[in-house]
Amino acid sequence: MSAHRSKTLVVAARRVHGIACVVCLSFSPLLAEESPTAADTVRFEGYPNAPTVNVVPRKDELFFYPCDQCHESMEPNPEIRELDTMHDSEIEHGRGRLWCLSCHDFENRNYLRTFLNELVDLDEAHVVCGGCHANRHKDWAYGVHGKRVADWQGDRTQYNCTHCHNAHSPAISPRAPKEPPPVRAGLKLERGKNHDAHSDNGTEQK
Amino acid sequence: MAKDSRSKETQNKFDMARRNFLRGIGVGAAVSMAQPAWGGQTFGDAFDDFFQKHYKKMTADEMQETLLRIERKAKIRYDADISCSNTPPQENVVFGYAINISRCQGYRDCVQACVEENNLGRDSQVQYIRVLQMDQGDSNLEHSDHYYDPEEVPVAGKYYLPVQCMQCDDPPCVKACPVEATWMEPDGIVVVDYDWCIGCRYCMTACPYWARHFNWTEPEIPTDEINPDTHYLGNRPRPRGVVEKCHFCIQRTRKGRQPACMEACPTGARIFGNLLDPDSEIRYVLENKQVFRLKEDLGTEPKFWYFSD
Repeated sequence: MSAHRSKTLVVAARRVHGIACVVCLSFSPLLAEESPTAADTVRFEGYPNAPTVNVVPRKDELFFYPCDQCHESMEPNPEIRELDTMHDSEIEHGRGRLWCLSCHDFENRNYLRTFLNELVDLDEAHVVCGGCHANRHKDWAYGVHGKRVADWQGDRTQYNCTHCHNAHSPAISPRAPKEPPPVRAGLKLERGKNHDAHSDNGTEQK
Repeated sequence: MAKDSRSKETQNKFDMARRNFLRGIGVGAAVSMAQPAWGGQTFGDAFDDFFQKHYKKMTADEMQETLLRIERKAKIRYDADISCSNTPPQENVVFGYAINISRCQGYRDCVQACVEENNLGRDSQVQYIRVLQMDQGDSNLEHSDHYYDPEEVPVAGKYYLPVQCMQCDDPPCVKACPVEATWMEPDGIVVVDYDWCIGCRYCMTACPYWARHFNWTEPEIPTDEINPDTHYLGNRPRPRGVVEKCHFCIQRTRKGRQPACMEACPTGARIFGNLLDPDSEIRYVLENKQVFRLKEDLGTEPKFWYFSD
């Protein structure tokens, strides 16, 4: 129910935002500076001699995006504090050294910001990640960390860091494995879970 | 006297048995000629099947007929419409594989994807990929466990080492085959002509990686789970009693797609690509990471590397 409502909210906000941009650009250059366009954000050009990588966009999958739909009407507050509404302020990333504004832009919540004070679009989030995790980012840019989509040949399309890692809790939690292979005919499992079952009822394991 | 009559009776019995037996053969032959009783095939298809040539000896027309026959057979066996192709190897491509063992978490998603992609029998004991659970700090394969089934992986103190066909550049299995039913293709994939294999399993003995598998039973696959995109040397429905193995998803990779195991891997531990392309990911791994191969001392030159970072 609430998911549905906020989805319509997102669509509506986008439409309003789009019109607002056109209006701003044509009438007020001062306001246009406040809402940056894609041209204002930093774009990753790749490492020297590295192949070109297309990054799978992710903004459409984000539940709250664009963040401006709420934050536009809120007074920005730079004080480091516990957030009590909407966002979970438990950040299991950086061992307590990070909080929202370490990565998110202070003035324009639709964007991220690097340590060099460059605006970064959410679809280019890996640029922000690379600010700390330089080795991983280089591996990713050469296609050795992370995942390439569908083909080994042709244009490279790769998933963004944030597709696999939750930026607020990047460690990947353990999960159950798929079922083990059938035990070869004539053999018996002699350890672990199957071993207990075997010794309990005395029947032969298949 | 009594003895004589008994022997006569026995004689009569034998005659009757013989007569019935011969009659049975006659009727059977007549029925099978008239009806599709050759494993459900027509007599013509069964005949062509029997006299099918070796993969490399077939002309283009014969190949085409064979592919169509395979499709017809799959329809009978699995009631599924498949398309069997014979996509040739690409120019200047030799496939190589690398696995980042510090990424692999032992989920076995690759194993499941492989079974589904390659039309492996759901109940059979054939799986091309074996994910070995190893103790950290131990590299002895004999201490490994691939039947692990904990609540959650990765288990503390363990690491995971997926093993499949290494596509050796000097494959011992190919040397062992007495009928040349297995060979290395120009793109580096070691393939099997399942119709030429006699099932002697010498290659399984020769393989140091335990990568070849013998299907003891006819693979059982539900109709809606059949993968219809097949290749003659790859995942087409196989007969019982032949040896099969990982073929780097030849039906996908020759068209530029990733192998199913790589596509399914949620951790991105698997790197696949063209060893001859200096810009490929696999070349970056080989040039920039500490890589090793399994049982390198045997000199089989596997095109399958492991690394960690």
